[in-house]
Amino acid sequence: MDRRQARQITSGVVFLAVCAIAVLIVVSQAGGGSGGDTDLEDVDLVRQQLRGIPQRGTVLGDPKADVKFVEYGDLQCPICKDFSVQEAPGLIAQVVRRGTASYDFRPWTVIGPSPHTQSTLAAKAALAASQQDHYWNYVELFYRNQGAEESGYVTEPFLTAIAKGAGVTDIARWNRDRHSKRWDELLSRTDSEAASLDFAGTPSFLVEGPAGRRTLTVPTLDDIEGAIREVE
Amino acid sequence: MPSERVLRAIAGVLALAGIGVATYITVVEAGGSAPQCLAGGHGCETVANSHYSHLAGVNVAVFGIVGYVLLVGSALAGGDVARIAGFAIALVGFGFSAYLTYLELFVIDAICQWCVASAVLMTLLLVVNALRALDYVGSELMNPPVRTDEL
Repeated sequence: MDRRQARQITSGVVFLAVCAIAVLIVVSQAGGGSGGDTDLEDVDLVRQQLRGIPQRGTVLGDPKADVKFVEYGDLQCPICKDFSVQEAPGLIAQVVRRGTASYDFRPWTVIGPSPHTQSTLAAKAALAASQQDHYWNYVELFYRNQGAEESGYVTEPFLTAIAKGAGVTDIARWNRDRHSKRWDELLSRTDSEAASLDFAGTPSFLVEGPAGRRTLTVPTLDDIEGAIREVE
Repeated sequence: MPSERVLRAIAGVLALAGIGVATYITVVEAGGSAPQCLAGGHGCETVANSHYSHLAGVNVAVFGIVGYVLLVGSALAGGDVARIAGFAIALVGFGFSAYLTYLELFVIDAICQWCVASAVLMTLLLVVNALRALDYVGSELMNPPVRTDEL
């Protein structure tokens, strides 16, 4: 092989190498999930829905309220999303904002094969947002942008987009907080609580007050208000 | 300019180191966990959990192992085919490593030290293999082996 031939072959090789890199990048991008999108919807709606309501940990509203409304839900769960979109806004506006009850969303990771990797990733991302008092913004915005369950949409870009849309300002801290061991303990405890309450699936609800407790499965706002009156 | 023997030795050592890094990531991931960042932090775990860590369902580290093994092969072999193949493989590896590094910095928002180590190795391999290809492709023609009957 002379120098001229070598140059021609090398040029061809460089062209093929660039094509190979392009193919790898296209395949890599195509590996993203279907469903959740980083072009978020309802960012302002969620912000308005929660504006002015105190958040502490996983609890929305007055933590000293006599009645506690607790939801056991999975962020990947489509029925939980329906509840979040259809019933939760009324519950938050008419019950939580008025101080009648606090609303605790406990992430119960049940979707997908154990260890429920995608649901756990989503739950930890939301819990990390609680460290900057934006847990509820994270949960509500996640539901508003939820993809098809177990489709692979729970990706780093998606989780980060939700965090930014939810108003988490310190993304580096949020990234660190997501890996805290305490969330494993919390998720395990939530799993045990749900089992002890004989809950069979998400979303399930517990209403606790001075007059006792009630458990509910996929209730309407009327059901919830009725249960609150019973336990007040 | 280093001799081709030196360039091949350097390329071989770098590619072996790359096999070590890529194998570590693959083995840890196959065991159900994530690579540990030696300097602390959770960048490696974050990157490993990202969907970008897999290509068509296969961990990108597996592609890394294949690439590094081929680079070891090109370093061991002589001749123009090995020189050009080494350069081509290193070029593809470098391009894809650059893309992955971009994803870490601007999309995933996390840095995995093992991925950075692999990217640095692939960059060095591109330099070494480019030098080898530029300086020694066609060199047999210009400096043909001396025939014993000519002595």
